[in-house]
Amino acid sequence: MKYIFDIKFKFLIVTLFIVSVIVSSCNKDVEQLGDITQPQRSGQTLDQLLKNNPEDSLYFRLIVKSGQLAMISDSNKMFSMFVPNNDAMRNAISSLAGIPNNQLIPNLVFSQFITSFISVEQAAALVQYNTIPQAIRTSSIPGTFPNFFYPSTLNPTPYDTIPYIPLARLDIYPSTRNGGWLNNLPLTSVNTLAYNGVIHHCAGLAIPPQRFLWNRINTDTGLTYLKAAIIRADSGTSPAFLQGALSNIGANLTLFAPTNAAFKKALVKMIAQVLIRNGADTTTAINTASALSSSPDVFSNPLLFSALPAEQVKGLLAYHLLGSRAFTNNFSTSPESANTLLGFPVILKATFGNPFVTSATVKGSGNAVPANIIINTTPLTADPDGTSDQLYLNGIMHEIDDILMPY
Amino acid sequence: MRKLNCYGFTLIMANLISMVCFAQTITVTGNVKNFQTKENASAVSVLLKGSSMGTYTDDKGNFSIVVSKFPATIIISSIGFEKQELAITSGIGKLNILLRPSSTLGQDVVVSASRVPEKILESPVSVERVNAAAIRNAAGANYYDILKSLKGVDVTTSSLTFATPTTRGFNSSGNTRFNQLVDGMDNQAPGLNFSVASLIGLSELDVDNMELLSGASSALYGSGGMNGTLLMTSKNPFKYQGFSVLAKEGVMHLGDQERGVSPYHNLNIRWAKKVNEKFAFKANVELIQANDWVGQDYRNYKRIAPGGYVTAGNRSSDPNYDGINVYGDETTIDIRSNILNPIADSMAPFLKNFIDTLNGGRSINVSRTGYTENQVVNPKTVNYKMSGALHYKLSTKTEAILAGYWGTGNTVYTGSERYSLENFKMGQYKLELNNKNWTLRAFTTQEDAGNSYNTTVATRLVNETWKPSVYYDAQGDPHGWYIDYATVYLDKRLNGYSDADAQQAARSYADQGRPDYNSSQFKNAFDSIRAVSIAQGGAKLLDKSDLYSVEGNCNLSKFTSKVADIIVGGSYKTYVLNSEGTLFADAPGNPIHTSEYGVYAQATRKLMDKFKLAVSGRYDKNQNFKGRFTPRATLTYKLAEYNHVRFSYQTAYRFPSNQQQWIDLGVGTGVRLLGSNEYFNAKYNFTGNQLYDLESFMTGQIVKFDPVEIKPESISSYEMGYKGLLAGGKLLIDLYGYYGQYQDFIGRKVMVQFKNGTPTSYSDTANRYYSLPVNSTDKVKTYGFGLGLDYRVFRNYSIGLNVTSDQLSDVPDHFVAYFNSPKYRANAYVSNSGFGPNKRFGFNINYRWQQSLLYEGDFATGNLPDVHVVDAQVSYKLPITKSVIKLGANNLLNQYYYNAVGNAQIGGVYYLSFGYNIY
Repeated sequence: MKYIFDIKFKFLIVTLFIVSVIVSSCNKDVEQLGDITQPQRSGQTLDQLLKNNPEDSLYFRLIVKSGQLAMISDSNKMFSMFVPNNDAMRNAISSLAGIPNNQLIPNLVFSQFITSFISVEQAAALVQYNTIPQAIRTSSIPGTFPNFFYPSTLNPTPYDTIPYIPLARLDIYPSTRNGGWLNNLPLTSVNTLAYNGVIHHCAGLAIPPQRFLWNRINTDTGLTYLKAAIIRADSGTSPAFLQGALSNIGANLTLFAPTNAAFKKALVKMIAQVLIRNGADTTTAINTASALSSSPDVFSNPLLFSALPAEQVKGLLAYHLLGSRAFTNNFSTSPESANTLLGFPVILKATFGNPFVTSATVKGSGNAVPANIIINTTPLTADPDGTSDQLYLNGIMHEIDDILMPY
Repeated sequence: MRKLNCYGFTLIMANLISMVCFAQTITVTGNVKNFQTKENASAVSVLLKGSSMGTYTDDKGNFSIVVSKFPATIIISSIGFEKQELAITSGIGKLNILLRPSSTLGQDVVVSASRVPEKILESPVSVERVNAAAIRNAAGANYYDILKSLKGVDVTTSSLTFATPTTRGFNSSGNTRFNQLVDGMDNQAPGLNFSVASLIGLSELDVDNMELLSGASSALYGSGGMNGTLLMTSKNPFKYQGFSVLAKEGVMHLGDQERGVSPYHNLNIRWAKKVNEKFAFKANVELIQANDWVGQDYRNYKRIAPGGYVTAGNRSSDPNYDGINVYGDETTIDIRSNILNPIADSMAPFLKNFIDTLNGGRSINVSRTGYTENQVVNPKTVNYKMSGALHYKLSTKTEAILAGYWGTGNTVYTGSERYSLENFKMGQYKLELNNKNWTLRAFTTQEDAGNSYNTTVATRLVNETWKPSVYYDAQGDPHGWYIDYATVYLDKRLNGYSDADAQQAARSYADQGRPDYNSSQFKNAFDSIRAVSIAQGGAKLLDKSDLYSVEGNCNLSKFTSKVADIIVGGSYKTYVLNSEGTLFADAPGNPIHTSEYGVYAQATRKLMDKFKLAVSGRYDKNQNFKGRFTPRATLTYKLAEYNHVRFSYQTAYRFPSNQQQWIDLGVGTGVRLLGSNEYFNAKYNFTGNQLYDLESFMTGQIVKFDPVEIKPESISSYEMGYKGLLAGGKLLIDLYGYYGQYQDFIGRKVMVQFKNGTPTSYSDTANRYYSLPVNSTDKVKTYGFGLGLDYRVFRNYSIGLNVTSDQLSDVPDHFVAYFNSPKYRANAYVSNSGFGPNKRFGFNINYRWQQSLLYEGDFATGNLPDVHVVDAQVSYKLPITKSVIKLGANNLLNQYYYNAVGNAQIGGVYYLSFGYNIY
């Protein structure tokens, strides 16, 4: 009996031990919460999507030419591409190469033009400018005024006056106000998702700006009064304030540029009023004012310095500048105020056709009627002397047919 | 005849040759052996009946006692043996006495529960006792490990030599609510405020017993002890004599990729000698040398005020990763608001919208790259303990003791950060007079933090040495790690990189030139930083604080026993805080003195032979706080012989610790830790520039904070229990239940002092932030129960089981209680102290289980999974030399576990020990 008990007891001990061993072998590690999960992606890469879409063959050709294929095929990166389809590309090539966009000319010919007449640098600039280094769906693109800007992948440097800045990028201006737009070009289809980004098709090829506002003003024979007014406004200040702003890549402006005719009309009125106040009769005053205003030298005529003080001219010009970029397609269809650099607002309004803006106005507080923005009738065609929605490195210019008066 | 032999446990082998009587005293000599094993029985009490004369057997079982006349009777007794009385008629010849082993179950005598010796069965409150025999037969590599298997005990293990026990919740590293007394001296480091008994306490060979009082105990032991008190008592050299050695050699870190398998060395030497009947001395040395456990919890942690939480992500996937045991990565900024937005506002306005869209417009918080604990903390734990004592008997009733305990070591402690304590030194020195009826003790504790440092601060500063986070050149242009990071990040994002890839590329770029942890560059920087105090911009803890204490008690029973047994006592303490102005608000040569005193009295009376009623109360006064009275009342009822029920009402409190009163320390996170003291109001102009509650402000509320004197925190506790022997004395049952209510918890809150005095932006770099002690207005309740079963089965086989539960209730929302106690825990053991041929073999298997819990700590908060641990040992005795060879293991199955988030991960320790002359 004692033997049996002893055996049983030893058995109990061994059993206890084994149970303990089994149970204690279950120590778990502290709770591991794992890694931060990245959103799952799928589908083809951007280059694959473009390559496989016949309607994008010309733009794909441009990409190949540009040497940017590696960029958009990198599955580790994310881009938003604004892609002109073949029709849009034909228009753009036609404009750039100076050939007619005749429907009888096959795409292959345009493709050959891309190969032959567009340099690698040009192609790269075009592709980089139409690419944003983020995947942005249109739902994330605001419809607010003024334009919401994104950096493209195009570094604008080196230009002569711009030192190389690694982080510098040319901005582009997608918008969902009044439809979908890239700059002033309508989007035709949006949100084609790729593994490494998103494609928005565009009715035209956005061309990266290469000039400053001042470059245009300084050389445009239709804006000589404006140039003279700027010089007058800057007289006595060093460095020249307005010229500096209009030549600065850091600036972000919208310039309502009165044409020479607009200046003449306004100057005659302003000088004549001064002459009448000084005792001249109306006819004499108008004739004299017309003669004095017949050339831009009116701003450098010392006899008129008291009638056109530099500070007053500067203020007047500041009233023609917005501190942001506003394409006409970003204007509201009902009158909407926008603040100028003078601190007083102007009233903007646009009327849309399908889909482009057919007319747009800007009204100063002192104007009885709004000035008309001279609408560029070929928005899909690059025109260095275009009248509206002209994009420069530091702003947008719209020619207008009247001077804006703040009061 | 056989029966007679059986009961005749006294066997006098020598003949009493003659009965010659001398007129003078005669010395009677003898030897005591274990009846079963025939081993010499040492430390056995030999008392001359009817007198106060007595002695102990030496390490060979020999004794001598002076007898003035014959016939005389001597009483021979020892725990674990049946007491016997022996009549002697002559002093000639040597007495050979055999003591019969008996069950020790429930026979232990405890002192801690009532400050007078009483059988543990009759204790009025829950108390656990660990005697030398239990230590001898324990499986743990260190005697402190035994605490882990006691009923209701939680132990937080910060590192190999830094363990903090507590009971009934509120467990943490360096728990200030649990007192640890070593030979009557508070073992708390006076400046750092945590007990270091596991590091600098008794050496294993010198431990006579440990008594652990669960729950509130201030009524007897003063401030602190809200969650319990551990009393460790060393061996008296009069009783335990001889030269003893205990050497353990082991291995640890099996399967630990970061440390690798490494040896464990532990050597104990004790020498005690009774020179004569009046004078005895002892000396002890212990050395522990090993590679420490390492904190290797690399989970991502989000630090928020208050508290924090573990979250997903790692260094690769979360740019703001802050690994729990990774240091240096606490440095974090939002690169959007601090770098990218300024870029957009000044240099690159054309990027503004782009920057605004990054990371969905949210903050882009980025942390610097850190170093893991095993890279920055010295892995070598070296722990020396030395102690010595001179004992002199002034009379048969009064013994004087002059004793010193000194230790030094390296270990790691978890506070609000992980602190590497290097060459930490602490000495305790006492002069004590012990009388049967009174005790008088004066002691001092001398602390020196040595080369201890804050690992987080040190590593963050190392990062600043090789590349500052942000600095400005002579032109005022910013540079540094974050500028590099943000620039590359932005550049990569502008090139179409995903956020994750851009962050990786940015980190790779910014980390160029980052020194490897074992490079001389890193080591030189690290060593330089930790050599400079925190207050001076380094990471060193400079603390040389001291404690001076005088205390005494007196048993007045012989005068008052007709009414009640009365004990009175008192204590006076002075803390001298000396950090040379680097930790506290002291100054070099002008330390802070803080004093407190306390008096107490206890009256005990038996009623109707069944009841024992005890009422006690203690009044304490700290010079910085109002006086505090803590009452206690206990009642025991004897159900039957060896069966008692107990009821108690206890209170406890804790004065704010010295740190909570006097600390004045900027910890490198922009927040200055302050004590609660009027001194700081003037120093930091709190009256002139209002403080505001930061947490409230961050949630949109403006709440002013006026520093007020904090109150001691306190607890009231009710307990009922039963302890008894059943099954013929073979089964010991201990059952209890308790309920307690805490109030005026002392915690910390971060306050902000706005730069212009008006609450504007809380993140303005010109603001100042202070962490101040505050009392919580919330009350929380705790309750729980415990059941312990110990059964002597057969032939020295014992089995046991205890199950305990501690719970917290009525916790207000958002209240961080730091309860840190599992709802249930259990221990089970099976052991045998002697089996096999000549009963030379022994074994012990102990299994511990702790239920998962939410651990809340200042350093880190998170869930701890269930813990299952098996400790085991098998031993073999060599009786002639009283030696024991033991093969043992802590955490036999090498199941690594944490018992606090951020603490070291504990694995198996496997050792072979040899002990010579082990009692």
